[in-house]
Amino acid sequence: MSNTQYSGVKVKRFSKGFVIAHAVNAISFFALYITALPMYTEWFDWLYPVLGGPEGARLLHRIFAIAFITPTFIWLIMDPKGFLRWGKELVTWKKRDIQFFTEFVKELFGFKFKHVKQTFFNAGEKINSIIQILTAILIIGSGFPMWFPDLFPKAVVQWAYVAHNVGFGLAIAVVVGHIYLSVIHKNSRPGYTGVITGEVPAEWAKDHYTEWYEEEVKKGNFPDLDKDKNKKKGA
Amino acid sequence: MAEYTKYVDVTKCDGCRACMVACKNWNDLPAEPEKFQGSVQSHANVTANTWNVLSFIEHEDSKGNLDYLFRHSSCFHCSEAACVKVCPEEAMHYTDFGTVNVDSDKCVGCGYCVQNCPFDVVQLATYKDKNGKEYKKAQKCTMCVDRLEEGMQPACVTTCHTDAMEFGTQEEMLKKAEKRLSEIKDKYPNAMIYNPEGVGGTHTIYVLAEKPSVYGLPEKPKVPTSAVVWKDYAQPIGKMMLGATSMALVGAFVSNKLFNKEGKGHEEDGGGSHE
Repeated sequence: MSNTQYSGVKVKRFSKGFVIAHAVNAISFFALYITALPMYTEWFDWLYPVLGGPEGARLLHRIFAIAFITPTFIWLIMDPKGFLRWGKELVTWKKRDIQFFTEFVKELFGFKFKHVKQTFFNAGEKINSIIQILTAILIIGSGFPMWFPDLFPKAVVQWAYVAHNVGFGLAIAVVVGHIYLSVIHKNSRPGYTGVITGEVPAEWAKDHYTEWYEEEVKKGNFPDLDKDKNKKKGA
Repeated sequence: MAEYTKYVDVTKCDGCRACMVACKNWNDLPAEPEKFQGSVQSHANVTANTWNVLSFIEHEDSKGNLDYLFRHSSCFHCSEAACVKVCPEEAMHYTDFGTVNVDSDKCVGCGYCVQNCPFDVVQLATYKDKNGKEYKKAQKCTMCVDRLEEGMQPACVTTCHTDAMEFGTQEEMLKKAEKRLSEIKDKYPNAMIYNPEGVGGTHTIYVLAEKPSVYGLPEKPKVPTSAVVWKDYAQPIGKMMLGATSMALVGAFVSNKLFNKEGKGHEEDGGGSHE
């Protein structure tokens, strides 16, 4: 699909650190999901031969489990500023974040909606992040007693299975929505290019993350699209 | 088919260990050289290759007298078995005799049963295939199901020379246990029938001379609450949630096709070459 609706002006949204961390997170999440499926439900037992039998599936699951732990550190080391901004935004909630959701439901189902001014991460992304952090803690935290049962009391190991399941159930439900928005839903799709190349169309960024965009314009990092439009009109 | 139960009267056991030998012999289980346990007992607990262990307990009774207690220990074959509940492959299953068995073809060696058995009975055995690749399978007492199918009794029961063990229908064995309990109550005031309700009753019932804890048994074993939460709530809700989000998004996709034909709203489009 062409980029006809946009002027072609791109702005930098994500650092290299974020792009790598996001990719490692996404790939390891899916690898973990696939290698765990046959253990979760017997519907997927046909995956065992593909994964090298139960032993192969288990080994791969553990390798990707290690990979799954690394994104936080990759982002923190490569882009500490971006990481801290993320942390700060996750705990900052204002009226506009609540307003976002009423408009977002309309947007999701293809009805007319208006953009509610958002900062670097919109309220939906913040909720997604918070759920992913909580589920990652549940999944990683419970993974250790499951992997090394001899080091933990039996009750801890038994409850780890529950936590692993709850964490996984929540995470996959949210991830399905996250992926739908990024690769299928029209209005959010440029975000997908953003997490791969780090860049997004300027107009799209301005509409979706207005407050952040305006801040960057003030700093002189991004072009002032309104000014450019007025210039063109005047010309 | 009627459900069958192994009855173990520990007060008749003389600790000869013939049941251990018979079990190893019938089931072709390899020997496991063990370190000295500090007593006559050979193994600390049942293992993946030793399904039947005779435990020897030095016990001081309420009068201060030393009592030497013996207990034949093996799988309890619970009516509501935690191992069956948590097994993701349906490898752990109930047999027609009411006992619990492992289907080795289905077992993938995940060890969920090991972690959830309230009696620490199930263990993983390690095997090597022709190519030298190692794999694990859960193992435990089968109540000699292959013998039961031929109308025989479990090897341990057949070999017991003091009649401490008997095998029969659940009803018969429970009656026997109650009768025996009334006979020994004078000598063993703490005596009891061990057939825990928390696991729906078992298919190996004991007449114990002392409290269960004296024999290293849990007083009130039950299917772990975590196993119930995990299997009866967390897993079905997880599957439901995945289904619900997927359906919501299919709805969103269809609705977008119906109401957003021109890409209205804010007319954002593609934004990249990823389609």
